[in-house]
Amino acid sequence: MSAESITTGTAGAPTAARPPRVRRPEYGQLAGVVGLYVACIGAALALSALLVEVTGGSSVDVFSALLNGSIRGDGRIGATLGVAVPLLLVALGTILSNRAGLVNIGQEGQLYIGAACAAYAGTKLGMHGPHVVVLVLLAGIVGGALWAGIAGLLKYRRNVPEVLSTLLLVTIASQLVGYGLKNQWLLLAPAEGRSNRQQVSRQLSADTRLPRVTWFGNQFPISVFLAIALALLVGAVMVRTVWGMRLRMLGHNRRTAQRAGVAASRYGGAALLVSGGFAGLAGGAMLAGGDFGNYTLVPGFASQIGWTGLLVALVSRQRAALAIAMAFVFACLRTGSSFVASTGVERRITDVVQGLLVLALLVPPALLFLRQRRRAQNAAGDRT
Amino acid sequence: MSGTVRLEGVSKHYGRVRACDAVDLTLEPGRIHGVLGENGAGKSTLMKILIGLVVPDAGTISIGGERVALRDPLDAARHGIGMVHQHFSLVEPLRVWENVALGEAGALRPAAVRARIAELSERYGLDVDPDAVVGDLPVGMRQRVEIIKCLRRDPSILIFDEPTSVLTPAESSLLFDTLRHVVVSEGRAVALVSHKLDEILQATDEVTIMRQGRVVDHVTTADVDAATLAASMVGRAVSLRGDRIAGAVPEAAATDVETAAEVLRLDDVTVRSRDGRILLDELSLSVRAGEIVGVAGVEGNGQRPLADVLSSLLPLSEGRVFVGGEQVATGKAGAMARAGVGVIPEDRHDSGVVLEMTIAENLWLVNPSAIARAGVLDEGRMRAGAERLIDEFEISCAGPDAPMYSLSGGNQQRVVLARELSNEPQVLIAAQPTRGLDVGAIEYMSDRLRKAAADGVGVLLISSELEEILDLADRILVISDGRIIGEMDRHEADLGRIGLLMGGQAA
Amino acid sequence: MIDVLSAIGDVLTSEAAYLNALTFAVFLAFGATGEWVAERSGTLSISVEAMLLGGAFAAALGTARFGSVAAGLACAIAAGVVVASVQANMSHRLAANQFVVGLTLNILVLGVASFLASELKPSIRKAGTQRIPLLADIPLVGQALFDRTWLFYLIYPLVPACWWLVFRTRWGLELRAAGENPQSADVSGIDVNKRRRQGIYVAGATCGMGGAYLVLGAVGQFEDSIVGGRGFIALIAVIFGGWTLRGTLFGCLLFGSVLSFRLSLPALGYQLNGDLLASLPFVVTILAMSLFASRVRPPVALAQPFIRGLK
Repeated sequence: MSAESITTGTAGAPTAARPPRVRRPEYGQLAGVVGLYVACIGAALALSALLVEVTGGSSVDVFSALLNGSIRGDGRIGATLGVAVPLLLVALGTILSNRAGLVNIGQEGQLYIGAACAAYAGTKLGMHGPHVVVLVLLAGIVGGALWAGIAGLLKYRRNVPEVLSTLLLVTIASQLVGYGLKNQWLLLAPAEGRSNRQQVSRQLSADTRLPRVTWFGNQFPISVFLAIALALLVGAVMVRTVWGMRLRMLGHNRRTAQRAGVAASRYGGAALLVSGGFAGLAGGAMLAGGDFGNYTLVPGFASQIGWTGLLVALVSRQRAALAIAMAFVFACLRTGSSFVASTGVERRITDVVQGLLVLALLVPPALLFLRQRRRAQNAAGDRT
Repeated sequence: MSGTVRLEGVSKHYGRVRACDAVDLTLEPGRIHGVLGENGAGKSTLMKILIGLVVPDAGTISIGGERVALRDPLDAARHGIGMVHQHFSLVEPLRVWENVALGEAGALRPAAVRARIAELSERYGLDVDPDAVVGDLPVGMRQRVEIIKCLRRDPSILIFDEPTSVLTPAESSLLFDTLRHVVVSEGRAVALVSHKLDEILQATDEVTIMRQGRVVDHVTTADVDAATLAASMVGRAVSLRGDRIAGAVPEAAATDVETAAEVLRLDDVTVRSRDGRILLDELSLSVRAGEIVGVAGVEGNGQRPLADVLSSLLPLSEGRVFVGGEQVATGKAGAMARAGVGVIPEDRHDSGVVLEMTIAENLWLVNPSAIARAGVLDEGRMRAGAERLIDEFEISCAGPDAPMYSLSGGNQQRVVLARELSNEPQVLIAAQPTRGLDVGAIEYMSDRLRKAAADGVGVLLISSELEEILDLADRILVISDGRIIGEMDRHEADLGRIGLLMGGQAA
Repeated sequence: MIDVLSAIGDVLTSEAAYLNALTFAVFLAFGATGEWVAERSGTLSISVEAMLLGGAFAAALGTARFGSVAAGLACAIAAGVVVASVQANMSHRLAANQFVVGLTLNILVLGVASFLASELKPSIRKAGTQRIPLLADIPLVGQALFDRTWLFYLIYPLVPACWWLVFRTRWGLELRAAGENPQSADVSGIDVNKRRRQGIYVAGATCGMGGAYLVLGAVGQFEDSIVGGRGFIALIAVIFGGWTLRGTLFGCLLFGSVLSFRLSLPALGYQLNGDLLASLPFVVTILAMSLFASRVRPPVALAQPFIRGLK
């Protein structure tokens, strides 16, 4: 029999239907599976290249620029790592909530609120000292958690599907923070520090920022280590703790979990809180890390990191360790895109590559699942 | 209308299980033919074959003398076979006329559909409002809609699958009158599938009785009575065993059950489903330490809700549950398990195991804290404990880290058994524990249950296999329509009486 | 208090306010009507945003290329259907998770559209208006309803057509059955997933129209942010409207009005907090969902994938 299963859909329906299982076929067919993935990824890249060529650009130049911008250029790996941090953090939180069978798609909003709370803690409380950066991050966690908690409350008290509530909360978050950035009593910096038209927060003072290190010519914030450590922690918690085991039970089989003492509202609610907390931490890390907005909260701060982090989680098939690698890959696309402009091709092409890549990675599990079902139906020989 | 439907030598098996074994059945126009049997007797599969949902492995079907092949429901419909489903095929938020029109081809003509409904209502006395929303209709009305939907296609053969399972006696009478009318005046053939004796006696002209996939008898209804039918339904083979049991001394020395403590009690337990149906109706029972109480009955009479309540999956509407003398909250996650109630559920995939997790994880599903320190699982102890249980319960597997879905059904059942027993429960609920298992596995399970009882666990065995109950139970209860309608000790076990009770007739 | 009343009075008597409100409302309605059809079959397409954006871009490209608004519209509808077919086939043929596919499409289409837009730079003009005599003279709302581009007028036949499609045709009956009880529908011989895919195609087509209206009729040029999250509002309008067409349209009017306040109010001299106002539609929807959970009834099988044999 097979050694492991591949899940087709990651998150289920709002009413938490179990996603269909797929059994990874035997070794002989393993090559086929790998080939399928390679083919799909290749197709995605080929389509992107085609798009570039059709509009008069050179796909070779573009891919080269991507590599330069993300890895090859001086110090670029550091920049990429800095971008990978929030992506990884968001992905970790998403993996947790997905494992519990929940569909949280509000990371962008949770991240934004987290960043806003972090900014408030860092600029409006008048505190100084190295411990403040910890406070900043904590504020981020709390903000994100509470924001996701609203969706949890609505789900378990009023039966509102979390896929919708988290989605709505994204836009509300954006408006809320926008409001905050227009008012000095909330987030807006005092007039002296900015030009009149800017709606930005005060910049974090030098001692409230995350320390940066330099390795082999690449500078990056220490949040990189934090994120990796958290990834390993999440992976360990999911597999080696009672809480993690219960969470997985809830995600796999709600009824069995209920029998075994896992109350859906408690564990699911907790999963949402933690998931939001991770997104909020990502926001705080983005602010205090310096790779975004130069330690200042600006409108649109979240800059799609939440959405991209969600995609990272979905592509990582719920494995925290894999998420580390995928976060780096997606970060490469982002940092690489800043070099693409110099080739004369619009930098948005990386969004296209990203999207096509994700779609491409959705196809193999779906095809395998269908093939398995068709085989099973033929064996049974009837329509039931 | 059309000719006789003849099934000859029809067989269908699923793996090792023979759902239908060389079945012969003849449906003649103008007659109502009852098909009687317990669950698992094969009647549902047989009907599915007739309606084209299942393709038989062997045998022939002929209509009016001509051989036909029924590959899908459309084929069956083309040959004039229509079925009124047990669990209805209606879409509740839609209106009656919309439901009746569903599945046809061609443009939607509401007026024509409504006219046809009116015509059919008039002709068969099935009065129903075409514009009513099906969800608002009481169950009896909904069935009329199903019948009209079936009749609309002008079938020459009608199959009714457990039609009165959701009807009141009055509604049932009405239904039988309708059937009579349909059959006699229009020369259609009707097959009435049921486990209820009075229904068979009241409505049919002849009866084919099935047991374990085979036809065991075929009689004219007028010639038999409830007792004979019951005996046929539960089988002569069982009575042989019954003789053996009646005189035999139980192998394991039972604790003095009379004075043992009561480990489980249900007091007037009532459970209502979300749409108001009554699933358990003031059900009361009690189990003492060391005794095996068997709950016999045809499936669908409340066994599932009963097990669900005791698995903390269903809250009570009224009544109380006591475990070891203390009241336990129902519907609260894990409360029953914590109180010492072990469960081997009817459908282990639904609420017994988590297929995607490893065997070791499944073995520690209910009580992971036992092998954890400060919330962290002790992998060593987990694996060691799992291996111990794998040995003790002879679970055939690749190891404690193998995924649950790699196990066969019988072994999965052993995992459930191992887990529940290792938690040292006061009460063990075993719901259909040997369903789908082979002979060896059944023996093993039975031995284990007996051993548990001998060790002082109170066992509640819920089963629709009468053999199993007669083999194991010290005391036998019969459940019907959500209540316990009969009780007897093992030595008083009278198959005739049990059969009657199971057929819904309190005696 | 008097200020608020006079403010309301000013808004209700301002022709410009109605104009703006209906611009947004009708744009939303194009998307929401199609999504309503799709959701009645049990699907939830988060990619409405992508369909609208794809339509808008294709309209700009088509008009720039072929010189006519009609050509732009045709391209827009085609683009909407193409995006819809990716969503439909991946979710309801390949059984991939519909939320994942939807989200990815949003990001992908945004990327493709903005990429191509900056490379190809389609230049278009805002379409002219066609005034309907007599009706346009109705005070206050006449201009807003009957002195618009012909793309706007498309909504008038579209809504009843969709209603008729869902409630008066066999196709619509099967669609609704697929959404309310796919198991029963399947037993009755209906191809559930096929109907669901077709519902999504309808959504793609109407979103294409909406995108065309937006770029050619309302804004006059294509920008990346032309849809800017308002596709989600169309999605939410369906939910807010309790999955009825009437409710959906009311939702579009409501949300459209609120969206337009950011334009109308400053023009009337009022400085209201734009952010809080802009979040109002979303807050209202969440409140509506929470408070009226029992009355707001989705199609029973909404967002539950149907695979025969799997419960």
